[in-house]
Amino acid sequence: MTDLRLIRNFSIVAHIDHGKSTLADRILESTGVVARRDMREQFLDDMDLEREMGITIKANRCTCPYTYKGETYMLNLIDTPGHVDFHYEVSRALAACEGVLVLVDATQGVQAQTVANAYAALEVGCDMILVINKIDLPAARPEDIALEAEQVLGLDSSGAIFTSGKTGLGLDELFAAIIEKIRPPAGDPDGKLKALIYDAKPDVHRGVICHTRVYDGSFKRGDKIELMAAGRDYIITEVGKCRPKPTAAEVLGAGEVGYFLAGIKTIADVSIGDTVTLSSDPTDQRMPGYQPPQQMVFCDFYPGIGTTTDQLREAMEKLWLNDSSFTYSTVGSDALGIGFRCGFLGLLHMRIIQERLEREGNVSVVQTAPTVTYEILLTDGATQKIESPSELPDISGVEEIREPFVTAQMIVPADSVGQIMQLSMERRGRQVKTEYLSSTRVMMTYDFPLAEILYDFYDKLKSCTKGYGTADYHLKNYEVGDMVKMDILVNGMPVDALSVIVHRDKAAYRGRRLLERLKKEIDRHQFEIPLQAAVGGKIIARETIKAFRKDVTAKCYGGDITRKRKLLEKQKEGKKRMRTVGNVSIPQEAFMSILDPED
Amino acid sequence: MPHAGQSTSLGIASRAGLYVHVPFCDSKCGYCDFYSVAIKDRDTSPLIDALIREIGVRVPDSGYEIQTIFFGGGTPTVIPIEQLGALLAATRDAVDLSKVVEFTVEANPATVNDAKAELLVRSGVTRVSMGAQSFIPSELASLERLHSPDDIPPSVATLRRHGIKQLNLDLIFGVPGQTLDTWRESLRRAIELKPNHIACYGLTYEPGTRLTAQRETGRLQSCDEDLEAEMFECTVEVLAAAGFHQYEISNFAKPGCECRHNLLYWRNEPYIGIGPSAAGCIHNRRYKNVSDIGGYVRMIGASGLAEIESEAIDRETLIHELVLMQLRLNEGLDLRLFRERTGVDPRELFAEPLGQLSSSGLIEWDDAAIRLTRRGRLLANHVMAELVAGSAVSGDVALPVIAA
Repeated sequence: MTDLRLIRNFSIVAHIDHGKSTLADRILESTGVVARRDMREQFLDDMDLEREMGITIKANRCTCPYTYKGETYMLNLIDTPGHVDFHYEVSRALAACEGVLVLVDATQGVQAQTVANAYAALEVGCDMILVINKIDLPAARPEDIALEAEQVLGLDSSGAIFTSGKTGLGLDELFAAIIEKIRPPAGDPDGKLKALIYDAKPDVHRGVICHTRVYDGSFKRGDKIELMAAGRDYIITEVGKCRPKPTAAEVLGAGEVGYFLAGIKTIADVSIGDTVTLSSDPTDQRMPGYQPPQQMVFCDFYPGIGTTTDQLREAMEKLWLNDSSFTYSTVGSDALGIGFRCGFLGLLHMRIIQERLEREGNVSVVQTAPTVTYEILLTDGATQKIESPSELPDISGVEEIREPFVTAQMIVPADSVGQIMQLSMERRGRQVKTEYLSSTRVMMTYDFPLAEILYDFYDKLKSCTKGYGTADYHLKNYEVGDMVKMDILVNGMPVDALSVIVHRDKAAYRGRRLLERLKKEIDRHQFEIPLQAAVGGKIIARETIKAFRKDVTAKCYGGDITRKRKLLEKQKEGKKRMRTVGNVSIPQEAFMSILDPED
Repeated sequence: MPHAGQSTSLGIASRAGLYVHVPFCDSKCGYCDFYSVAIKDRDTSPLIDALIREIGVRVPDSGYEIQTIFFGGGTPTVIPIEQLGALLAATRDAVDLSKVVEFTVEANPATVNDAKAELLVRSGVTRVSMGAQSFIPSELASLERLHSPDDIPPSVATLRRHGIKQLNLDLIFGVPGQTLDTWRESLRRAIELKPNHIACYGLTYEPGTRLTAQRETGRLQSCDEDLEAEMFECTVEVLAAAGFHQYEISNFAKPGCECRHNLLYWRNEPYIGIGPSAAGCIHNRRYKNVSDIGGYVRMIGASGLAEIESEAIDRETLIHELVLMQLRLNEGLDLRLFRERTGVDPRELFAEPLGQLSSSGLIEWDDAAIRLTRRGRLLANHVMAELVAGSAVSGDVALPVIAA
């Protein structure tokens, strides 16, 4: 057991791409936890998808020994995800720490996610150290950025540490600051066991690995523990620390961060935020636990051609055991058959889940456009939440439809304020406040209907600001809106999976845009296909896909066979993503075309 | 209809076609994506020597009896007469010409003179395929052809005078600026020359060609799809009235005058390919030679072969190729042959798409074959893709053993 005085538990928070993973790599390397020759980029990001996309999705952790003024400290680093979709993972990680490094890129300055993450750390009551990173870059302005951070975040810029994750510059100063400025954990090493499960990960061979922070007491292999919220007892089979691979230890004591194994079969048996205590001598101070993650975005996954509903279900079940932050339930569509209504933390989360399903579950997925949750007030006074346009009750029984609003913080260059105001107005945004961070940068706070910023808002913001703007948002409330359900008819047949709930003022415009997109996505058939958008039985937009008459390869001789066959096989693969509605083949992309409110 | 090459799948003496690619032209046409280079002042002899060497290596080693020969390109008739003579002589040496039922050479108008025509006939050539393309000067210009419409009749006469009886004329429709009337005019002029075979190709914008680049940069406007479909339908009618029946999507012949060599491709039978960029398919393996002339000459010099790609035709590939090639033929996909070569009945394998496609009037079948309907032929790519996408292919059943 380590002396509490010699333990520091800390996390790093940053805007995406500010170099958090690279700095973490250097910390691992310079404390000797990972030998230089074993170093891969972004060591803590161990999901393939994370390394490919250059983002951290699941929080990871590592215990690093560091000798300072003749004493060996245990520095426990808990890595956190940077993307807005994964806020709840950030809060989870922070709750297990006493300190946090607020990392800011020396060329980019404070961004929207820096603000959101730093506020989250403040709420938890962490000690904060301002770290200005990437100071090796020619465009770095470390002093200016430190002052800006002081103004925006209220962090003392005189204590800022200047580092380069790339070259390792400033690491000694950083370690000294971690030890000097972050308080050691408090707790009673001899008290009754009180530990928090802040994350859990399935392991095919050993059952679930529970990542834990011990507050009071200690536990070891052979102890009988109780998961207090679940009310279940287990026998500990191993305790240990991540270095960064799980490494067994004798005991986990107060103040320490580590893991335990207890023969827990599936991740569904563990609730993150649960309190661990000894069955024989339980603590009477159960931890408050975590809010379960809130799904903000819903869409349906249907099996593509070549995949059955059962195969898709199996793949979803398997993935859910690994990441229970999405939800799914069975749903049926006339157009697409039996599939699953899924809830996600955000759009990126949705994309990741779809990709992991196809990659790890080896299934083909047809996905419908994402939608938000609407709250329906019925004429009888009851309220009901719907996650899909198809769930909207008959309009005669509906008193009002309420849609989710978010508060968004956008940090943008001062010269793009006009464009951002224009963009926000188009998205039915309401200005809350505008603050100048410096003469060149502005923080704009707006309330938006979530549906309006769901899909391409972030891209638009980026293009309005030449890539410099950043945004972050959190759910505010539900507000009444003049919403209508728009149906789409393909060749006279309503395609339920294409229905969408839209604001009445925007219905005609959205309908026209949607049909234009659909027209591009659906190939010409050997007959003419009318496309229609309808609200309450009234056609508000119309397009026609002309019949094709000729699609034939003129020449096909001996030298052409391989190439023509490959073309044929490519077409065949394309058809795998098609669904037939009536007698019209609709590619998967068409089901996503609802997404695109503007071009 | 008896199938000459199907004996291969029954393990009896196997026959194959021989294709020789001569990659030279007077100039490169904007639409062409075959491998060829402008001849200019180039010394063609190293390449011809390499062709001769490859024929000498491949033909005897293959174990096949050559049944048809086709010299294509490029324009085989542009090379110097001594080299053409040497190439033809080497072919005669490697092949038992008494077993050859058809020997075709491609030519362009104004590339055949008396001496070359005489040489061809003396060397055993029985058929000439001539790239007439159009009888309208403006259309020939937009195709970047060097000849004029008036060059075509004298070239045909020269060949006839020396004894070439089997003659094909190639024509192209869907040319920018072409109308239904000008297309009818080209067809009429072609028929007037009394060939026994006419090939009519819809102009294709192949990736990487000058023509495609011109369309993409807006310098030319491609023919309207509906007009092109009308031209195609008009072709079938006009040629049928003149006694030419359609036997393949783009090929029309007087009875008994179908191109035997090309039939072999469409019936998925073996063929040996010689020359740069040429492909061959022998013993269930397809190979492709290196394209560039320099590389080809070097590789042949080193080993006698110049393959850069080779693939075994597995069962799924074979199924795709049978559909891709045989449906092009009016005789259709031969049910018995398909069963023998793949072990499954195509009517079962494609049961689902067949039902849909026949109710759309694009395909029909009986106990002998599955065929495209007249409307289906215009939408052949769509039909083929529907068939292979909707097939019930399961597992990998071993191919029936094919004798070497």
